[in-house]
Amino acid sequence: MSSSSKWEAVIGLEVHVQVRTRTKMFCGCVNQYGDAQNTHLCPVCLGLPGSLPVPNEEAIRKTILSGLMLGCQIAPVARFDRKNYFYPDMPKNYQISQYDDPLCAGGGVTLDPFLFPKEIQETEEAKAGRKIRLVRIHLEEDVAKSFHFEDRSGIDFNRAGTPLMEIVSEADLRTPGEAFSFLGSLRQILLAGNVSDADMEKGQMRCDVNVSVRPLGQKEYGTKVELKNLNSISGVRRALTYEIARQIAACEKGEAIAHETRRWDDEAGATFTMRTKEKAHDYRYFPEPDLLPVRTDQGLLDSARTLVPELPSELQTRLIRDFGVTPYQASVLTADRILCGYYEKAAAGTKNKALVANWILNDFLSTQPDPTTTPVRPEYFGELADLVAGGAINSAQAKKVFTELMAHPTSPKDLVKKLGLEQISDTSALSAYCDEAIAANPRSVEDYKAGKMNAINALKGFVMKKSQGKANPAQVDEILRTKLSS
Amino acid sequence: MSAPQINVSDVASLARLTLTPEETAKFSSQIGQILSHMDSLKQIETGNVPEVTPPAHPNLRQDEPTPSLSLQAALSNAPAQANDLIVVPKIVE
Amino acid sequence: MSLAHESIATLRRRLAAKEIHSRDLVRDLLQQIDAREKTIHAYTHLDREAALAAAEKSDPSLPLGGIPIAIKDNLNVLGDPCTCASKILEGYKAPYDATAIARLRQAGAVFLGRTNMDEFAMGSSTENSALGITRNPWDSTRIPGGSSGGSAAAVGGRIALAALGSDTGGSIRQPAALCGCVGLKPTYGRISRYGLVAFASSLDQIGPLTRTVEDSALLLSALAGHDPRDNTTDLRKPESFLAKPDGSVKGLRVGIPKEYFIPGMDTETEAAVRQSAEWFKKNGATLVDVSLPHTPSAIAVYYILATAEASANLARFDGVRYGRRATDPRDVLDLYHRTRSEGFGPEVKRRIILGTFVLSAGYTDAYYRQAQKVRGLIRQDFENAFASCDLLLTPTSPEPAFKLGDRTQDPLKMYLADVFTISVNLAGNPAVSLPCGFTKSNLPIGLQLIGPRFGEEKILQAGHSYEQAHDWHQRLPPA
Repeated sequence: MSSSSKWEAVIGLEVHVQVRTRTKMFCGCVNQYGDAQNTHLCPVCLGLPGSLPVPNEEAIRKTILSGLMLGCQIAPVARFDRKNYFYPDMPKNYQISQYDDPLCAGGGVTLDPFLFPKEIQETEEAKAGRKIRLVRIHLEEDVAKSFHFEDRSGIDFNRAGTPLMEIVSEADLRTPGEAFSFLGSLRQILLAGNVSDADMEKGQMRCDVNVSVRPLGQKEYGTKVELKNLNSISGVRRALTYEIARQIAACEKGEAIAHETRRWDDEAGATFTMRTKEKAHDYRYFPEPDLLPVRTDQGLLDSARTLVPELPSELQTRLIRDFGVTPYQASVLTADRILCGYYEKAAAGTKNKALVANWILNDFLSTQPDPTTTPVRPEYFGELADLVAGGAINSAQAKKVFTELMAHPTSPKDLVKKLGLEQISDTSALSAYCDEAIAANPRSVEDYKAGKMNAINALKGFVMKKSQGKANPAQVDEILRTKLSS
Repeated sequence: MSAPQINVSDVASLARLTLTPEETAKFSSQIGQILSHMDSLKQIETGNVPEVTPPAHPNLRQDEPTPSLSLQAALSNAPAQANDLIVVPKIVE
Repeated sequence: MSLAHESIATLRRRLAAKEIHSRDLVRDLLQQIDAREKTIHAYTHLDREAALAAAEKSDPSLPLGGIPIAIKDNLNVLGDPCTCASKILEGYKAPYDATAIARLRQAGAVFLGRTNMDEFAMGSSTENSALGITRNPWDSTRIPGGSSGGSAAAVGGRIALAALGSDTGGSIRQPAALCGCVGLKPTYGRISRYGLVAFASSLDQIGPLTRTVEDSALLLSALAGHDPRDNTTDLRKPESFLAKPDGSVKGLRVGIPKEYFIPGMDTETEAAVRQSAEWFKKNGATLVDVSLPHTPSAIAVYYILATAEASANLARFDGVRYGRRATDPRDVLDLYHRTRSEGFGPEVKRRIILGTFVLSAGYTDAYYRQAQKVRGLIRQDFENAFASCDLLLTPTSPEPAFKLGDRTQDPLKMYLADVFTISVNLAGNPAVSLPCGFTKSNLPIGLQLIGPRFGEEKILQAGHSYEQAHDWHQRLPPA
């Protein structure tokens, strides 16, 4: 990899995200994936002669919301434009989009370290927390879905007209890992705002990549190549890894990089020139005459503002600060808001919030629970944590209670009684145990008095065994040391 | 006035139209004349045109479903269909 | 007098009073059609049975209950063809009603026939129809005007009571003038365009063609009003557009724009229109000289903007989802090229190419954006003029109907015929054409009254007063 340190990759992403709304962007047909083909159509989304579009207020609201979450400026007046090209999945052979006056401009996505690929999360690259600037976010309509057979293609227009947000980043990304984290971080924010599920494998989030390379330190950009057919976040990473290496190898040989669109083939693990059908598209953009400009007035902005959730970064900060969880744990909770809600409820009743986090994220999660329906009430964890902190049981006992809790969910206090696990903290009882231990382990006593401090462990072990694990270990330790020093 | 030399075939192609040689010749000359006429617009001073202010009510649509066409109605005019899909020649990427 | 020669206003009363039944009216019209349609060829489709069946079920208590109306062949009527006089829409059956149609249905109207037009509303003579030409009812060697030539010829020829048309650059008003009937283009945004096959989205408006101004106001009331399906419709509630049927024109300030009386225009037309202006003056109105200085640019602006919008609006005709598809296409590209090249007529192709060009890379600033700016100046011209007058009075067409075949080889000359009507579409104002005289050879001459935006009432009141003081509207075309 030594040659790559002479080169720098410059990457920009164009992300299309399907907005979660009940109806389509410009008509009242249902916006629903997976239903019977061609059953959610009307003159508008089928492009019948005489049809006219009318914008979906909720789609606009959710786009403004996305802009607010990502720190964009919201345009005071936004306009729609026609983007003209012919394709069978286009009902009108123009797409209503936004060109000159998009809804949102600027903004950025901070790369979450825990959303880098696992194997590089500990690197400088991941920990840098770089903020990737956005150029803009605009709203447009999705195209229909085609199916290809041996000698023909079939088109299902259900998807035609689905509201689609296009999020364009500046060419600020430098590595495939960063692109990976960008998509994950962006997705997490959109999920938090209930804007989209943004699942790439369901086609709810699609990504095109622009990548070029240049010698490290050079200001001018190299020749840009566009990559298409990227079907997953890890696919984006693989494609970029390959393409960057391809471009560097070519540059080192003195070959020119063609300014083109290449198709990523995940199976082959390589990019290929797409069949060049025609010259670069001339989209002949012009303002959509059928739509009034949208004034983003106070009412619209306020209705979007009320939907701004606690952002993933804010939530993570709060969890670490107020709950004492580790950054890694915070990232796990942020990625799953339902689990996070469960955890917050669980930790509410106790000061030992970090302990609760450990239990929930390690032991509880491994049982693959559904936090919304599990009979294990979150309050039980708080109760259990308090029992340990208060000295009623020790951590070994807590483990036993936990196992029982999973099997028979009920108040831990009751379980402790049921299992007869109350920790013994009574000094006289413990003193008796300690005397027994000392009497039964003369060799250990001798060793301890001779200076082998660890010999006390055998005595402690004896006490724990005799007390069936119920003795308070800290007190036992104290009592033994006192007795042995006399 | 110098009208641009419009390449009628290229433009026709953008609009997915094939012209016969006669049509190309005829259209070139006719459109050329029309464009010459339009060149007079270039002389006009447009500095002080007020921007049309957008109305306060953009008439946005509430996100409530309205009835769709039945599958039958939607496909009723399709020149070719099979298995509820509209059929076209094989689309090659 | 044949029922077909009466006005809608009169017929409504008689229907409501049960003096006559809608079926009588339809039968009468069908008789007139039988007598004259062979010559005129105003209709592209005529379903006699369906019309009579609808007449039977009609409810005369509704505002237009039982009144038969002809529909221009570019408006979607559920279950009916909608060819736009083009081969490319062969076989298409509308799966929905245009809003205008739905409103007429709601008002109780009966649909009688679909009328001929220039293909996709592109033309001024109805010679660009793929379904044959239409002849002027006053002289069958001449054009009826266009693009709503069929509607105008039917109404002017007394083989329809009233018809719907569409007007993008004069396509209701000019044929109305040439065929001797009343044609109204409302303010842009007054009537919903949902279901009107689009030609130029920022210019198109649906409007009525009728024998009298009062009938025009009646239809406008039924059609006007905000439509949630058309984002460009205005929220204003429609009013009664002829509240004072006996109003006088005293005190009205009538603007006479100097750019509309140009050297070279037909002398008889100019004389008739000037005489009409004099009538207004004699009856207490004031004539005001005004100027609309950017009028000479209007044709260029129009043909840039309208063709640009049209090039995009007509892209959907590709043989994929409806309409005619070329046989045995090799691939998708072949499907597009052959379907469109075989399906569109030469005028449509010419305008698509022009429109594509003015939007294409490298030219969009010089043509499209410049035209938009000049459009703004034209709009401003009208606003300035209305500061000093209530309405404008102009000829509708620079000349009466010319001979069939006269301009078909010279598209630019054909375009220049729209000079008096086009600016109105660019500005979005309402305008009505009504008969104001005849040439020595008995060809109709039209007077255009232009109002401020949403000022239909002004022009309809004034037009009605003028009409009732004359009998132009009662002259019948030769048998």
